[in-house]
Amino acid sequence: MIGGRRPLHGRKVADRRVHVGRPHAPYFRYTGPGMLTAKAAASMAPAASRGPAQTIRRFLFGRRLSNEEEAFERLPKKLALPIFSSDAISSSAYATEEILRVFVVAGAGALLVSIQMALAITGLLAVVSLSYRQVCRAYPSGGGAYVVARENISHLAGLVAAAALLIDYVMTVAVSTAAAVAQVYSVVPQLYDVRIEIALGAIALITVANLRGLREAGLFFASPTYVFVGMTLLMIGLGIVRIAGGAGPVTAPPVDRIVPLGTQVLGIVLILRAFAAGSVALTGVEAIANGVPTFKPPEAKNAANTMLTMAILLAVLFIGITVVADAFGIRPTGEGGPTVVAMVAAAVFGDGTLPFLVFQASTALILFLAVNTSFNAFPRLAAILAHDEYMPRQFGFRGDRLAFSWGIVALATVAGVILVIFGGDTHALIPLYSVGVFVCFTLSQAGMVRHWLTVREPGWWWRAGVNACGGILTLVVLTVVTSVKFVDGAWLVIVLIPLQILVFLFVHRQYAASRAQVALRPDQVAPEPHRHERVVVPVSGLNRAVIQAVNVGRSVSNDVRAVLVAEDPVYAEEVRMAWGRQVPGVPLVVVESPYRALTGPFLAYLEVLDHSWPPEKEAPITFVVIPEFVPRHWWERLLYNQSTNELRRALLGRPDTVVTSVPYRREESDAFRRPEAAGEPD
Amino acid sequence: MPDKPVPAFACAVVALNGGPSDAQILRLVLELAKPAHAEVVAVHVVEIDWTLPLDADVAQRSEEAQRVLDVAENQAEHAKFELEAVLVQARDVGAALVDEAVERDADLLVLGLPYRKRFGGDFAIGRTVPYVLKNAPCAVWIAREAMPEEHRP
Repeated sequence: MIGGRRPLHGRKVADRRVHVGRPHAPYFRYTGPGMLTAKAAASMAPAASRGPAQTIRRFLFGRRLSNEEEAFERLPKKLALPIFSSDAISSSAYATEEILRVFVVAGAGALLVSIQMALAITGLLAVVSLSYRQVCRAYPSGGGAYVVARENISHLAGLVAAAALLIDYVMTVAVSTAAAVAQVYSVVPQLYDVRIEIALGAIALITVANLRGLREAGLFFASPTYVFVGMTLLMIGLGIVRIAGGAGPVTAPPVDRIVPLGTQVLGIVLILRAFAAGSVALTGVEAIANGVPTFKPPEAKNAANTMLTMAILLAVLFIGITVVADAFGIRPTGEGGPTVVAMVAAAVFGDGTLPFLVFQASTALILFLAVNTSFNAFPRLAAILAHDEYMPRQFGFRGDRLAFSWGIVALATVAGVILVIFGGDTHALIPLYSVGVFVCFTLSQAGMVRHWLTVREPGWWWRAGVNACGGILTLVVLTVVTSVKFVDGAWLVIVLIPLQILVFLFVHRQYAASRAQVALRPDQVAPEPHRHERVVVPVSGLNRAVIQAVNVGRSVSNDVRAVLVAEDPVYAEEVRMAWGRQVPGVPLVVVESPYRALTGPFLAYLEVLDHSWPPEKEAPITFVVIPEFVPRHWWERLLYNQSTNELRRALLGRPDTVVTSVPYRREESDAFRRPEAAGEPD
Repeated sequence: MPDKPVPAFACAVVALNGGPSDAQILRLVLELAKPAHAEVVAVHVVEIDWTLPLDADVAQRSEEAQRVLDVAENQAEHAKFELEAVLVQARDVGAALVDEAVERDADLLVLGLPYRKRFGGDFAIGRTVPYVLKNAPCAVWIAREAMPEEHRP
């Protein structure tokens, strides 16, 4: 019997015992003196509010996970690779095309330089990856460029990196989704007109998968990534075999779809533009460094090794696709046409063949899944910023499945809006994409140089050298990317980063100010209450709910009065007569309201009370005790408590005023109506 | 073909006293109970002095007493086993344990025994263990803690 004691007789006459109830057991367990730990049952919604919404939630997101289960959500390397590397690896699906789109304006000769450009970009990739491996080892708590820049350069530098990263993650979701949809309508051109809807649906699906938790997301995302890598390596291999066998340019798509060859001179500007465009291949490289804590132990070592695997894969895929595209003379097409990688696949596997369709499907899938890298990194970075009080604290909360729900939903929402605004066009979005990435790269490398110069661990000199080299290179790329893409859209990122930083600083200032206002000095001891307390009970008449509220008020203070704001003087008089008879000892103040207002006259009466208080005495605390009827059904909420809610809102923030609601439940009224329930209402 | 092994017990009552031996005996019993799908009842008895009524509000207010069973439940949960936790107030611990075992028709009663020495140097077995050994109708396992270093020859 919960909470009860049932005496039991033993085998011998004097042997009696009592079973003691443990009412806390279903909800809590004692884990220390004065400490309780909530069980899953305590974290569930109250029975009254459990309904279809809770069932759907459970179906979509699964059961709640406790903090102790967090370890089981850690990722082994083979799951971490697809989760954190799908963004980087998938960029090989469009990086080549971005280079070709720039070179095509300079004619066929310029297209031949695409391989050298790809090699140059791969060189940069090698330096950046090597640098980030060091970030993984030096900062196993994650946070990537933000933590590195904050700890080694300045807080402001950290915020610049954080702002750039957050913008970059949003753009990753938008760009990758748009690119994935482009793969889809490369195969089924009729879907071009519904590309936005497909993109938003994909984002919604990935959002739900991430809200289910990291491990489940990994299991969902692993296969398509590995299929894409396998198919692309097969495509590159077959392509090289065919090239070695003498295969030449392939039959191109209809002339009106291909971007025509231009006649511009292949000068330094064009080369830099191509480099800036192709450097989109490096996006996503930092994700592993941000997510080191999610790896199984030893976290830093596993993350660094995964980084190396990712870099090698990306380099092979990027260069391979560029080589095959160049050998087959593939040129980019206009809006709505097939992508370069789709044309490469058609040339190697044959258009419409099963391997071609599998490759296209896996490419579309990995581009969708590249989004997932951001869904892991963005919420984690937002949580770190929330912990440092640069973002609202809600971003640090973990949901039912140990995922940072607020960050996930925020990312999905903003990315969806951007997709809609830009009409789902990859090429319109890419200029915004690379700037943030290279800001982070530059700041993190600079931060790592200072880190090695400070700690001077064994090998610090060559490590600092690697990071310095990486930082200089990425600074050059950042300058190039910003200048060549400035008019195309990079200016927006340049504007957004400072705006985001202002928001960070504003939030930080707010939290610091409110903390300072409520802080206690260490030597301060809480004083006994010393101010006079008075109770004012707003009433609409004389009933059980009002009596209950009045009695609660009487338990707070002897200075209790009820206030009736009435439009009808006759009704007011009736209530006064009954009140005097049935509620002795509690004065009733009637405020006639010829203007038919309720809240205003009540507030004015409270003002009058305040002004009547002797100025030499400390201001009293006014408890406004509001009787409230508890509706049993949802539709009753529309019928009751409207004035109560309005009054409560008006009183919120009023100085020296405490607002207390006293709920009155209909079950209590039913109980009093039963003949056997005698006695006065309490 | 070898005969299927007979489970050690179908229902075991495990007496917990809040000491370090609790985790060990519970782990042992759970390991044996799980494959046999046996029932395990964890019992903690709070002895009530004769100066107080038997149903005095002692155990329910005692966080310590509640924690003994909470820890046992947590341990069982980690082992993916559901055990029944019972908190009892009685005049005599041994009698209460035997009566619980009888009421539940348990075929095993397990107790932990700390290694203690009486003033004078003899090993102190206490009152509860001899009573249980003498009166329990079912099998009784006593798990004594390891001898501390200072007592070892």
